[in-house]
Formats: sequence, C-alpha cells, structure tokens
Amino acid sequence: MVGLVAVGLPAALLIRLLTVAATLALARRARTCRWVALVGSMLASLLTVTVALEVIASGLSVEGVLVRHAASGIVFDYAVTPLSAWFLMVLGVVAIPTALYSAAYFSHSVVASRIAVVGTAFNVLVGSLEAVFTASGVVAFLCAWEVMTLATAALVATEHQERASRRAAYLYLVMSHIGTGCLVAGFLVLAGQAGSLSFSALLSGHVVSGPLRDGLFALFFVGFGVKAGVIPLHVWLPEAHPAAPSSVSALMSAVLITAGIYGLYRVCGFGLGVPDQNWALALMAVGMLSAILGVLYALTQTDLKRLLAYSTIENSGIIVLGLGAAMMALAHDQRALATVAVAASLTHVLNHAIFKGLLFLGAGSVVMATGTRQIEQFGGLLRRMPWTGLFFLIGALSISGLPLLNGFPGEWLTFQALLLGFTATPGLVRLNFPLAGAMLALTSALAAACFVRAFGISFLALPRSPAAGSAHESPLLMLVPQAWLATLCVGLGLVPGVALRALEGVIVSLPGLQLTSPMAEGAWGMASGIGSFDHVVPGIFGVAVLSALAFAALLTVRREAVARRVPTWACGGDLTARTEYTATAFSKPLLMIFRAVYRPRRQVDSLADVSPYFPQEVRYRTEIEPTFERYMYAPLVRLVLGSARGMRVLQAGSLHTYLAYVLVLAVILLIWLGGTT
Amino acid sequence: MIPDAFLTIGASLLQAGGMLAAAPLLRTAIKKMKARLQNRQGPPLLQGYYDLAKLIRKEPVRSETASWVYVAGPRVYFAAAVAATTLVPVLVAVAPLEAAGGILLLVGTLAFGRFALATAALDTGSPFGGMGASRDMTIAALAEPALMLGLFAQALAAGTMNLGVLVRALVQQGPSWHPSDLLAFAGLFIIVIAETGRIPVDNPATHLELTMIHEAMVLEYAGPDLALVEWASAVKELLYLTLLVNLFMPVGIATSVETEALFVALMAWTGKVFLLAIAVTVVESTNAKLRLFRVPELVSVSLGLAFLALAIRFL
Repeated sequence: MVGLVAVGLPAALLIRLLTVAATLALARRARTCRWVALVGSMLASLLTVTVALEVIASGLSVEGVLVRHAASGIVFDYAVTPLSAWFLMVLGVVAIPTALYSAAYFSHSVVASRIAVVGTAFNVLVGSLEAVFTASGVVAFLCAWEVMTLATAALVATEHQERASRRAAYLYLVMSHIGTGCLVAGFLVLAGQAGSLSFSALLSGHVVSGPLRDGLFALFFVGFGVKAGVIPLHVWLPEAHPAAPSSVSALMSAVLITAGIYGLYRVCGFGLGVPDQNWALALMAVGMLSAILGVLYALTQTDLKRLLAYSTIENSGIIVLGLGAAMMALAHDQRALATVAVAASLTHVLNHAIFKGLLFLGAGSVVMATGTRQIEQFGGLLRRMPWTGLFFLIGALSISGLPLLNGFPGEWLTFQALLLGFTATPGLVRLNFPLAGAMLALTSALAAACFVRAFGISFLALPRSPAAGSAHESPLLMLVPQAWLATLCVGLGLVPGVALRALEGVIVSLPGLQLTSPMAEGAWGMASGIGSFDHVVPGIFGVAVLSALAFAALLTVRREAVARRVPTWACGGDLTARTEYTATAFSKPLLMIFRAVYRPRRQVDSLADVSPYFPQEVRYRTEIEPTFERYMYAPLVRLVLGSARGMRVLQAGSLHTYLAYVLVLAVILLIWLGGTT
Repeated sequence: MIPDAFLTIGASLLQAGGMLAAAPLLRTAIKKMKARLQNRQGPPLLQGYYDLAKLIRKEPVRSETASWVYVAGPRVYFAAAVAATTLVPVLVAVAPLEAAGGILLLVGTLAFGRFALATAALDTGSPFGGMGASRDMTIAALAEPALMLGLFAQALAAGTMNLGVLVRALVQQGPSWHPSDLLAFAGLFIIVIAETGRIPVDNPATHLELTMIHEAMVLEYAGPDLALVEWASAVKELLYLTLLVNLFMPVGIATSVETEALFVALMAWTGKVFLLAIAVTVVESTNAKLRLFRVPELVSVSLGLAFLALAIRFL
C-alpha cells in the first residue's frame, strides 16, 4: 500500500499521458477511441482516489518530484497534503462515474469525428485538476491552472458550429484569463517577497504584511473567485456550463468550481497569515450574495442545464460563506468555531459535487432523450424514464438541503457555524451572522421551490411536447453512474459522520485550526464541536420517519385494492399539456415578489383580425434583466474597447511612423539613463 | 430496569400517538369557536374524527395521469409531520428523540413533507395543483428565514439548539419577560399563521381558485390520501402551537415522570394551546385574507421582529 501511495500520482499522470496518446492515435476509430479515453481516465482517477483516501486516513502528506530542470532551477513537484487529498477525493468521486457515463453518452451526443478531441480534453481536464490540487510550487500550479482552463474551453466549444457555444467558450476564456492574470500578479509579488517559488515558503503566512497583504488578498480573491463562480465574477458560468456536453457539465459544476474554492482555502484563507476581519466580511458578503442571487436566478430559468448552473453559483456561495465564517473566527482567534465553519464548507464541497454531478448526469439523460434543454418541453418523463426520474428526484431532494440526504449535513454545519459565530464574536460585526443565517434559510427554502419546479414540471403529469412523449430510458451504462451517485447522496445523508471523521484529519492539518471536541458522533451523527450546542443523528430519525411511513401505509392499505383511476378534472375541458401549469407560471409569484432583483419585463402581443376581443394569436414574451452583465460588464467592455480603439491611432500601418516611434523611444531612454547616472 | 432504547421508543410512540389523537380536536375547536364568533352553531367537537374516519373508509380515487409520486406525496407528508412531533417536548421537558436532533432537523423535516406534497401536486396535470404548489412553496420560502431567526433568538438565549435541552434551560431560568421574548413570540406567531395556512395568509375554508393556496395543492386528493393530508396538517398545526407554548411559556411542564406532574402538565399544555387557538381564531375572524402579493409584507414584519429580538438580547 505504501508503495502505491508513493508512486500513485506519477503513475496516474503516466496513465493519462498514455491514454491521451492512444486516443489521438485511434482518432479514426471512434468507438475504440471513446472507450480507450474514458477507461484510461477511470483507471487514473482510481489511482488518485486511492492515494487521496490513504492520505486522508493517515493524515500524512505524500510528496515527490515529477520533473526537475537543472538549468533553470524549475522543479515540478507535488505534495498531497490532507487538504489536497480531500479535493482529489471529491474529484475522483465524480470523475469516475462521469467517465463511465460519458462512454455511452458521447456516442450519442458527440460527433464521431470529434471524439478524439473531446476524449483528450476530458483526460487533460481531469489530469490538470489533479495537478492543480497537488502542485506544490507556483510554476507547476499556474501551468496546471492554465491547462485546466484551456481544456475546459475546448470542451465548452465541443459544438462549435453553434454560435452560442463559441460565445460561451470565448467568454469563459476571457473571464478565466482575467482571473489567471490576477493570480500571476499575486504569485509574482508573493514569490518576490519570499524569494522562493515553493508553496511551503510562499504560503507560510509570514511573507507579507500590512497593506501589501490586503492587496494580495484582493488579487487572489478575484483570481480564484472567477473559477469558484461567485457573484459578481460568475458571468461565464451560466453560459459555459450548459454549453458543454452534459457529463462534462457535471464535472465542471461539481469539481471545476472547487478548484477556485481550493485556491481560496490554500491562499486566501490559510496562506497569507491570520485573516483580517475585513477579508472575512468580504467573503461572507460575496458568499451570501452568490447564494441568494444564484438561487433566485436559478428559479426563473427554463433551460434545465442553465438552472443547474445557477444553482452551482448558489452552492458555491454557501461554501464561500462557510469559509468566510471560518476566517472571521480566525480573525477573532476563535479556533473551535473556525473548525466548525471549515468543516461545514468542506463537507458541502463534497456533498455538492455528488448531488450536482448526479443532477447534471440526469439532465444529460433527459436532454439526450428529448433533444431539448427546455423544461417547458418536458413533462411526464417519469413514466418513460423511471430510473432517471428517481435518481433526479434524489438529487433534487439532496440539493434542497432536506434531512436524511447529503445536502443537509453541509447546511446544518453552516448554520451551526453562523449561530456560534454570533455568540463568539464581539461588537456589531456579529450581526452579520444572523443576517447570513436568515439568508441561508431563505436560500435553502428557495432551492426547494426551485427543485420542486425543476423535477415536477420535467418529470410529472403529461408530456408537453411530442419529443417528451416518445422519450426512452437511457442505456444501463448511463444509469449505473447515476445510481452510484444517488446511493452516495442517501448514504452520506444517513451517515454524515463518515465524511466528518475523514475531514478531521484535514482540519487539523490547516494552520490555526485545532479540534477541541470530535465533530463526528460515531459514523451516524454530527455535533457542532462546542459543548452541547447541537447534534444530529439522521439515522435515528430516519427510523422514526420510516415507522411513521409504515403507519401511514397501514392506515390506507385496506382500501388500496379498490383504488380507482379516473381522468383529472380540467374544468370541463380536455386535459392536455396546454392546461398544465408551466415552469414560468410556477416561479411567477417569486418573480413578482423579488421584482427589485429581477426587474422583469414582459410583452404581450395580441394579434387580431376583426376585433381586439377575439385574438387569433397571443404572443407572450418575458425576460429578466441581466443586471451584472448590463450594469457591470457592459460598461467595462465598452471601456476596454474604447481604449483599444484609442490606441489604434498609434498603429497607423506606416513604416515611417514606426521608425519614428523607435527613434523617439531611444531618445527618451537616453535622456532618462543620462539623468540617472 | 427498562433499557434506554425501549424507553425512547416507547416515549416516541406515546408522544406521536398522543399528538395524532389530539390534532383533529384542535382543528375542530378552532372551527367551532370561529362559528360561534359568527353566531353559528358550528360542528360538534368530534367532527374532525368523524371526517377522518369517513375519508379513510372511502375508496381512493386518483388521476390516471399521476405516477407513484402522487401516491407517495401524502404519505411522506404525513410521516414527516408525525416524525417531527418526536423532536419537540410536549408534556415533559424532554423530547423523546432529542438524541436525533434539534431545531434544524425539525424545520428540515417539515420542509421535506412540504417538498413531497408540492411535488405530488404537480403530478395530476391539473392547473390547480401547480398553482397551489407554486404558492405554497413561495410562502414557505418567505416564511423560512423568519421562522429560523425567531427560533434562533430563543436558542441562542439558552445556548443550545436542541429543543429538549432548550426547554429545560428555560424552565430553569424561570419565566422571562425580556422584550426580546415578546418580539420573537410575535414574529413566530405570524409565521405559525402563515405556515398553517390560516387567514390572513391563506383561507382553509375556501375552494375559490383565485384565493386558495394549500387547498389548491391538495385539491385532487380524495379518500384515504386526503385523510392523510388533513391529519398531517392538523398535527403540524398542533406541533407549531406546542412549540410556541413551550418555547415562550413553559410554565407547568413536567420535569419528572410522576403522575401528578404529568397531570398538571397536561392541564397546563391544554390550557395554553387552547389560549393560542383562541388567538388564532380571533385573528382569523377579524381579519380579511391578504392578497398573495401582500403576504411578503406581513412576513417581513415577522422577520424584522425576529431580527430585533436577536439584536436587543445580545447588543
């Protein structure tokens, strides 16, 4: 076992490289190529997950060197710290089922001629994510980060014949590179101060201080925030995630955003010394904003994959909120509280990856079966796709944070952290915590409304389009990964202690954190870690619910034999899909109540021949205002384009002018140099 | 000596059974008092039981467009409400299943039931179900932060989120007339009205499509399915009132399991719940139902009260 752990990561990388080579070599044979790419990816992921689990279990980091370039002194080395291992495990838990799913899904949804490219990009994406989580130096980290960005962009542009896909990929590249630019700048300054390129020196927490430290925090916050998809840096996410093939969307929503979270943890939370209170406030504010706006936007989407993408923003917000609470606690030296908050946030990283992966895979099955992403075109799918429907329902219950499923532990712990934070921090700042608590409560209740809508409108009642009426269940190969993730949803919901106990090793490895009392109560329960504040054992309660369920069944079983099926009464008319409640109508009350956020506009055109009272056709159009795009990014884009246009004056195209520039520059430099000597 | 596990199971069964048995009476009592306020006779006090007995014996009639979700909905809703009763101390200052969790689990469980019923309502294809589900989820979403903050105000005052521990701490402190208590109580009372679907938020007696919320959601249900929904709603209502009673005036609650103490506790609990029921009746009889888009204003009043309660207690 020890040997495997030591060579596991390089071996996984080697497998990936071989897989990529084989995939490209077999490009002409689509079927073989697909299988080679995805089986290779699964094997490599299996290796990294093994290493990750071993590191988590032992609490000891695994380190090593991949490449050493003697001349430049650049070393590509890796270190699987417990924190890295946690994210590696999350990646593996989603990447393996996703790859299996893709093996069937790509054959339907990706043109055969592009299989090699998509398979390669898939491998490169997972591999670069692994590298991001384990890089122990700046150079390796930034290289992996950039490769990750490019691989994702390639996957987003899979259907590059569509203008929307190209636009999404472009937007993603632009936003990512703004982020990467911030990261490069930040790391350069940090490396300059530390005189080293290795993370252990850079992120020891004693390198910078004062305003420079605050400036660096801001740079890293923006840099990692773009990838984490927090509002207002989120604009790329709802475009890019739906554009990619669904299994890749699953990977992006579940794990790609955690690359940003990992960075926030590694650098902003625990790499720049004891956090400042203002940083914590910034993180909490951004987390709250992302959570609430993310779910509000998700509520009004009629594109299933866009809905899920917005809900990713929401969950990313909850994760960042937890980290913010932890940093606030650290700023006030409340270590026990920080422990709870970190546990909340990291638990949610894992659980969100699982249920969001599941939901995106389910969405992929539905999209494949119906050929559309519009919820209004689905309906009645539960009868035609019973298993997909069941798994999607489990995912929907989980994401709504309901007890007995795995969305609950993360939200429960976040509430603990917020409540304890209120009592533990001094001054007016503490009011931030109940505010965040109220926001979180609103967020989770809105998420429930959002997923009642997403599941109910898509899977229940009558088909709303011919395509939905003739949908077929996905092949077994696509159902097995969903079943696995759904099992994890239920399992981690019933025995949250398992994940928490594993997390304890990760928590103690972070600087400034210590475990005062165990947070896992055996495998079954969770405690908030401070005194007897609160604890929960979902398993016991599950028994109670099951007993009550059995009682309800007993009460009604006698008459079950004479149950009758009759048509639904449709106010005297025929019941058709036209009489069903639509997704747009479902979210209309919330649209009206939160109109200050949405600023909805609607347009009703009534086309009539004779009299306006007898319309031939009514056209209804509604849209919500893209606030951030319109008021934040549009002026920014205009500014950039304007200054670019201004600079174009310099580039006249005449050789003489350019020679004049050189001359002028040389003269100025001579004068300047002359002045300094 | 009986092992603890059996004691827990026994207490849970007793409490859940007791709440199930008492719940229909509360609903009928409110109906009766309301009728009296309107100079009507009102139903006999046992009408709630007659109704349930009749519904359970009827044949289940279900929509042919509906799937298993439609059948599961009322059952899960019922199970959630019944299981939730074991998390709250009623007569004794101990919640039978306080080992399982506290406030967050309670709120989550009720949300689970609501999720199940709202989803099931979308299954028949009738526009009413969708309308009801949409409105019910909307109001629940708005009420949730106020409910949580109100409960947090009490929980933080006692330093625990576990309802059993919380009530014991309150009993030990003795009666408190801190302004924060009053504010939190007022806030939670509004939420209880919203969550139990009473005027001015919802009208339990209406079947007019423009105004109904909860009733629209369960409009398609009949027979035993409807019985489960009605019964669970009654249990939920009793549960909310009990929660209010025991979180704000735990006077008389039994701290030991002696016959005398239990008797006093039963009397005290009945009396206090009855008082709250009168308050609910009076509010319902003297107010008009609010327009749906006025409800957020009412709920935000409650949110404000709860936030103030937290602020003045700790600042």
